[in-house]
Amino acid sequence: MNADEWLRVFAAELHQRRVAADAARHVVAEAATHLREGGGDPWLVFGPPQAYAATIVESIGTVPGPRPGPVRLDARGITKRYGRRTVLRDAALTVRAGQIAAVVGANGCGKSTFLRICAGLVSPDAGEVTVSGRLGFCPQQGGTADFLLPDEHFVLVGAGQGVAREPARRAGRAAARQLGWDAQGDVLARHLSGGTRQKLNLTMSTLAEPDVLLLDEPYQGFDQGSYVNLWDQLIRLRDAGRAIVVVTHLLNQLDRVDVVLDLTPAHQGGHS
Amino acid sequence: MDADRRGQWLRGVLDLCVLALLRDGESYGYELAQALDVAGVGPIQGGTLYPVLLRLQRTGLVTAQWREGGSGPARKYYQLTDDGRAALHHGGTAWLAFVAPVTDIVTKGVDG
Amino acid sequence: MRRLVTVAEMTLRELARRRGVLLLLLLMPLVFWMIRRDTYVGQSIRALLLGISWAVSTAALFATSAARELEPRLRLAGYRPHHLYLGRMLGLWALGLAVSVPFFLLTVFDAANLRYAGIAVAMLCCVAVAAPFGMLIGALLPRELEGTLLLLTVVAMQMLLDPASPGARLTPFWSSREIATWAVDHTDGGYLNRGLLHATLVTVLLIVTVAGVFGVRLRRRRHLHHAPLT
Repeated sequence: MNADEWLRVFAAELHQRRVAADAARHVVAEAATHLREGGGDPWLVFGPPQAYAATIVESIGTVPGPRPGPVRLDARGITKRYGRRTVLRDAALTVRAGQIAAVVGANGCGKSTFLRICAGLVSPDAGEVTVSGRLGFCPQQGGTADFLLPDEHFVLVGAGQGVAREPARRAGRAAARQLGWDAQGDVLARHLSGGTRQKLNLTMSTLAEPDVLLLDEPYQGFDQGSYVNLWDQLIRLRDAGRAIVVVTHLLNQLDRVDVVLDLTPAHQGGHS
Repeated sequence: MDADRRGQWLRGVLDLCVLALLRDGESYGYELAQALDVAGVGPIQGGTLYPVLLRLQRTGLVTAQWREGGSGPARKYYQLTDDGRAALHHGGTAWLAFVAPVTDIVTKGVDG
Repeated sequence: MRRLVTVAEMTLRELARRRGVLLLLLLMPLVFWMIRRDTYVGQSIRALLLGISWAVSTAALFATSAARELEPRLRLAGYRPHHLYLGRMLGLWALGLAVSVPFFLLTVFDAANLRYAGIAVAMLCCVAVAAPFGMLIGALLPRELEGTLLLLTVVAMQMLLDPASPGARLTPFWSSREIATWAVDHTDGGYLNRGLLHATLVTVLLIVTVAGVFGVRLRRRRHLHHAPLT
């Protein structure tokens, strides 16, 4: 991990610990200045980013986390069968504004299906989903158009909300920057690397400013830095009052989420 | 010297050292760290120094502002406040009152 | 309107960038035409029309398959199903017209004593039918390969069937053949009228079916309820 990456991870840690955004920015900038002037390995100068973030929290405290808002997504009794195989049995999940929910479980346990049912793309055999506000969905793959430029994707998504070209392009590039991606290039989506394509995919799903954001393993092909940026972005969105559902098989993210739905058979049902 | 022990001592007195270094004018983190090193306190890592500065800032003993240095990047400069000056006086006196007998006792032990 | 036009525009942009596919698609009408050219002008023009139908419907098939995963999310982003399929169809029609122009000029310069307006109308019919036809196949068959094979079958059938046989009227591009006969062989107006009627009927029927398929696929599911934002 080089200094830039250390700083990114550190910034994300501060954010997750709910250090006020302004204060966090100052602390990170100061650490960056120090490293620039003195050189040295950030791991020796400041220690592990997680530990240093914890020390900072002790020094300056945190802002109280916003209380979870009203229910934005309520899925109940979701049952889905493919032929004789029951993939989902009576699965339920409630996510409020300002919460991140993780949907976890072994491969093939119906995580993606559950998400697509929540998005209204697949019908369940039983169960209901209630959504408040606008819905955004980021599919695992294929949500982009091979032969379009990133800008054209932004224009296409923007037009759905009646947004004009230029504002849509600007909004798209700004959202891409949040993920550490400069989307200005003239590269067709099919020539983007896997990780960058996934950023395009993600950017498209946040562009319409959804109140409920559903993400299906949104970090495929990401390097460590992009991964940190992603969580940074998700936490920003959460703090802005969005309700977020992330399908994931990486367990180390669970400490960052507010609700976990484990779809491994025999533990279905959301718990906090 | 036993680094652990030195660290423990520093924890108790680093804030006073910083306040004292700021008495004659503003400074920034890296410069403070170097000044402490040059003075012989030993290398102070950023991970130790900045939390102290932040605590001093939060309690109003120093103020800070970002400014472009004469050359080089923007830095966060710390200045002593009146409260800080008072705290330095107060804490410094107490420290001196504390180390004088400690030095006496330890000197006897070492010489003897 | 913005949504419709944007989808049409993006469809055109995507297709315009698939240069290899486009060239191969244009090659087919050209080759059809060249092979038949020496024998009989009517044959070459019919082959050309069939080639255009094939090219446009294949492009429609590709465009539809490629958008399979994209469309649901556009639906969530505020598009209605008709924006998506009509927009795409508009883009494909525009592409079809652009493809037809050089071929039309080719016939004008190459063959004398034709009803050129008839050739133009026949080409319009091909394009009108081919876009929704290719889209329908693309929507019903999940993979491009299967769709392409089906299209090939239809085109081959069209070519081999005797146009006078009753079964031929059930093939989608029969209209262009009738109109071409009127244009090349100077037959009576019945050919033109039948052709126009057939093209209109088939186009409308295909659009309605495409609308149905897209409407079902992109429908608002019954299990999903929208509550007001509180």
